[in-house]
Amino acid sequence: MDAATRAKWDRAAGTFDLMSSRGPEWRWAPAKREFFSAMHGKVLFLAVGTGLDIPFFPPGLEITGIDISPRMLEKAQPRADAYEGKIELLEMDVHDLAFDAGRFDQVFTSCTFCSVPNPVGGLESLRRILEPRGELRMFEHTGSRWFPFSVMMHLMTPLSRQVGPEMNRPTVENVRRAGFLIREVKHIYLDIVKTITAQAPA
Amino acid sequence: METRPYFVLGDLLVNATVGALVGLACAALIGPSWNMWLGMFVGMALGMAMALVLSLGLFAVLLGAMEVMVPAMLTGMTAGMVVGMAAPMTEVSLGDGARWGALLGLVCLVVTYAANAVLLRQTTHS
Repeated sequence: MDAATRAKWDRAAGTFDLMSSRGPEWRWAPAKREFFSAMHGKVLFLAVGTGLDIPFFPPGLEITGIDISPRMLEKAQPRADAYEGKIELLEMDVHDLAFDAGRFDQVFTSCTFCSVPNPVGGLESLRRILEPRGELRMFEHTGSRWFPFSVMMHLMTPLSRQVGPEMNRPTVENVRRAGFLIREVKHIYLDIVKTITAQAPA
Repeated sequence: METRPYFVLGDLLVNATVGALVGLACAALIGPSWNMWLGMFVGMALGMAMALVLSLGLFAVLLGAMEVMVPAMLTGMTAGMVVGMAAPMTEVSLGDGARWGALLGLVCLVVTYAANAVLLRQTTHS
């Protein structure tokens, strides 16, 4: 378990909903509802945080949600209890997943790989616990390819890294480097916020 | 592209406010004794720093950090550069600086919305 990352997110848990539950969720609600509507089968939701995404999950599923921070999970529990289905919450580090190989049909992430310390290593862990041809679906913000937005994301990162995410991660490329086949990349805001659909190898 | 009035009006308010404050600050700081290029670079750096700080507070909470920060930093950069470059060449009052900054903020927001509209069409499949 990465103690430094856990401590960072434990600290962030107190103010996370204040910063993230209003504007960002209102802004992204339509896109997230559509994104999560693809959930089916055995689903792992990585970095469940305080559970802000849970209301967007389609009802009637059995979902495993993990997070590195016990404080985040405490805040997520009421939202998991309110879900019309079953959500099991577990404390776990993406770099050290305690699941058998091929356990899940799908893995979902939401604004997660901006802050995973070793993104390619984390993605390789996800590939292991997905069944062959299993699906990785990500709602992420990344760096931009386009000037001047690319410069801004690089300039913001040293500051944003202190409190949580990095703003300039090449997440689509990282997914490819981890051995996934990219199926679709859909922009949500500029080329910064996007959904990525990828498939584990057969 | 964003069409919900709450967000469109909020984005307009953020960019006009950030632009006006950056323009005001640059008009106050940079004067006729400055070299034009130095004024432009100082204005740009000051504008981006001010935009980052201003957009991280209430605006980000109410409107979403990403959609606020990106156009606001573009506004800060542009308003800072233009007012910072103009102030050494001609007399720029505080009111002029604020007005130019606010106007440039609205232009930057339109540019960002247009870029967003183009990029949203670029879904890639394999």
